[in-house]
Amino acid sequence: MVSEEVLRTHLQELRRGTVVVASLVALRQPDYGYALLQRLGAHGFPVDANTLYPLLRRLEEQGLLTSEWNTEESRPRKFYRTSADGEAVLARLLDDLTAVRTSVAGLIEGEDR
Amino acid sequence: MNSLTDRYVAATLRTVPAPRREEIGSELRASIADMIDGRTGVGQDADTAEREVLTELGNPDQLAARYADRRLQLIGPRYFLVWWRLLRLLLTFVPAVAGVVSGVVKATVDHDPGAAIGAGVAGALQAAVQTAFWITLVFAVAERTDTKLPAWNVDQLPEAPRERQVTLVDSCASIVFLLLTIAFFPWQHFQPWVTGDGSRLPMIDPALWSFWLPVLLAVLVADLGLEVAKYRSGRWTWPLVAVKAVLDLAFAVPVVWLLLTDRLLNPDLVQRFEWLREGGVDDVARVAVVVTAGITVWGLVDSAAKARRPAA
Repeated sequence: MVSEEVLRTHLQELRRGTVVVASLVALRQPDYGYALLQRLGAHGFPVDANTLYPLLRRLEEQGLLTSEWNTEESRPRKFYRTSADGEAVLARLLDDLTAVRTSVAGLIEGEDR
Repeated sequence: MNSLTDRYVAATLRTVPAPRREEIGSELRASIADMIDGRTGVGQDADTAEREVLTELGNPDQLAARYADRRLQLIGPRYFLVWWRLLRLLLTFVPAVAGVVSGVVKATVDHDPGAAIGAGVAGALQAAVQTAFWITLVFAVAERTDTKLPAWNVDQLPEAPRERQVTLVDSCASIVFLLLTIAFFPWQHFQPWVTGDGSRLPMIDPALWSFWLPVLLAVLVADLGLEVAKYRSGRWTWPLVAVKAVLDLAFAVPVVWLLLTDRLLNPDLVQRFEWLREGGVDDVARVAVVVTAGITVWGLVDSAAKARRPAA
């Protein structure tokens, strides 16, 4: 049996890119850092806070997210939303995710696509 | 009020680029407050919640690096191999050259041959440290400025290693031995034995410096060249055996001849010690002649035997 350590590394590698996909999908509905963290966790994407917060900023800098400060509630919060560019990138990423799944399924069945 | 959160945010912002500091600070502060609320909402007390949230966020320097997209490595995988190769390459000769130069300068310009070896070792060490530092600095800067490196291509592949008759270790050992032998000549002249009455006497007759000692030193230096040539060819060849024979004889014949004619040892030294004076010097000469002849003959037979062996 492989060690927990090895298994965890592989799972981490597999999951890494999916956080971006999940965030871009989830932020079609504007949200702030902590609430997004909770939502992703509830939908089976456990993300570390210290990974997600810097990631949101990076995606914003890349133009995939837009942001807006909401000062209506008790504490001012920065709300992120998926931009048009973000949607375009997301579409490509989702296509690729599907392609990966199809490829894996094809391999498992032992057939050429 | 200087809460843990204040300290945490300040520590994070310290290494974040200035223009984004304020915004990242406000957002981080709000996020931390939200996370704390999330915990106190399920009944945890505020202080414990704060500690746990900050612990979860981890080392603020690391968080700041993620915000700034900064690399947490001095030299990353893109540059490491080139850095390592260049470093090893330079360290094979730069310290040696610097050491020899420092030693020679100490012995000649400063007229202090006794301190030459110490100066050489210090010079070599300094050169090694300096080389390592500057090479590493250049690569650390390249890492941070995304300098492009020429791509690897197949022409850079080294030759597959050949079966070597002459190994690097053997050659290095021979070269070190030759260097020590070369160093012995000036050493015995300048740092000689102190005799009973405190005077210093060279072991070898100083009169020989006018001709024979320079000749012997020249032969030893030529031997260094032979070692290098031998290593490069990887095995003994007949021309190398011939050169070795000439050099060995050029060393052994004068030494034997000088010994047999009682001209090698310093006559003052012989006079100083009774047992040398009373015929001991002849015993020394006889033993030395036999040893010299033995080493020379064995070396020639050994190299010739290796040259005859077919290449592997």
